[in-house]
Amino acid sequence: MSKKQKIIFWSVVPAIIVLLIVGIILTNGLYEREASIQETMQDAILHEGDRISLFGLPVNPGLISAYLVTGAILLFAAIVRIFVIPKFKRIPGKFQLVLEQAVGFFDGMARSNSPHRNNTLGAYIFAAGVYIFFGTLFELVGIPWQTANGTSVTLPAPLSDINGAIALGCLSYAFILVGGIRANKGRGLLGTLKEFSLPISMSFRLFGALLSGMLVTELVYYYLALSFVLPVVVGVLFTLLHALVQAYVLAMLTALIYGEVTEPHVKKQRVRTRKKKTKSPTEVKI
Amino acid sequence: MPLNIDWQQILLHLLNFVILFAGLWLLLYKPVRNFMQKRNEEYENRDSEAERKQKEASELRAQYEQKLADADAEIEAKRADVRKELDDYAARRKNAAQEEADGILARARENAAREKEKSVRDARREISELAAEATEKLALRESASEAFDQFLDAAEAQEKESKAQEKTGGNE
Repeated sequence: MSKKQKIIFWSVVPAIIVLLIVGIILTNGLYEREASIQETMQDAILHEGDRISLFGLPVNPGLISAYLVTGAILLFAAIVRIFVIPKFKRIPGKFQLVLEQAVGFFDGMARSNSPHRNNTLGAYIFAAGVYIFFGTLFELVGIPWQTANGTSVTLPAPLSDINGAIALGCLSYAFILVGGIRANKGRGLLGTLKEFSLPISMSFRLFGALLSGMLVTELVYYYLALSFVLPVVVGVLFTLLHALVQAYVLAMLTALIYGEVTEPHVKKQRVRTRKKKTKSPTEVKI
Repeated sequence: MPLNIDWQQILLHLLNFVILFAGLWLLLYKPVRNFMQKRNEEYENRDSEAERKQKEASELRAQYEQKLADADAEIEAKRADVRKELDDYAARRKNAAQEEADGILARARENAAREKEKSVRDARREISELAAEATEKLALRESASEAFDQFLDAAEAQEKESKAQEKTGGNE
């Protein structure tokens, strides 16, 4: 960096920072909160005050997020299907490599965990993984939406809504159940029912992880003093990390248990052991 | 419901995810996986083809080596046959030559013996003729001593002549 560039850098950057701080202080009055931190966090969990009207039906903001995420993912998939996949090359480029890695990762996970039946499983865990990952990252975008009360709410991650988490957990369990019945009939059914706590654990794990992330972010954003530097770590890195972890955990658990219940039953051969007849001492003739 | 759990919203979430699952399966997962599988199959086919060709090449090489070894053995066998034939031929030629030489020698000896016998017979006949002639001359014209000397000279000359003839017959 030349001397001239250094001068420009050290004069422009502090000026921008000063301007931003002044702007934040001056505009602080626009963001006066009506609710206390307790009410904000309660709303984040229970969504009693921030319902959104979906064709006249009051729903949680998480559902709107879910439809937006699904729409975005499907739009992206359609564009890729129409414009990119027909031009796939034998030696992949960067974007093709990313797609192949993603599909190959979930396909490999399905094959390794469920060697006997994995065609639909791969697609299911791929969809679930993509949904959880991008759904979690969706909270970083922070799209504002008007509630039924007329107030504004920032759309959260779809799975921070307990209904979304329960839906995905129960659907995963149902998927495992159907797979088990198709593969092993009654034995598969019993094998899946044995894991009766799975839908609850899956649902609440997702809900807890996503909600805790959102609550921490809410807490941080609530106070002006915490709005510098910290959101980069909390908002981006934490969100990214638990998006990856939750996507991996649900996909892995589903694949693992699906593999268990669809495993063909092998009858164990009973080995008959001959009992040696030993003569009692009284029978032994001397 | 506690925690604001709403069955209707759960169903709406389920509908959303089922749409996403179906869409992603058809639009992204299936085509990409099919492409990858096709490429894998292509590489596996290439691998198996290369392996098959290598196997064929090694089999051909083994066959050629075997053929070379067979050809060497055949050449060696033919060489031995030819050598044997040559030896037989040489032996036959030698035997034939020996037999011919023996025949020639036997015939020569036979001829020589016949010649000798003939010359001895001729000499005897000439001696007897000379003796008869000398006796006749002695009796008619000269004295006994002269006649005897002439007889001896004639006999000596006759003997020399017969010896010389015998020598020439033996050389032949």
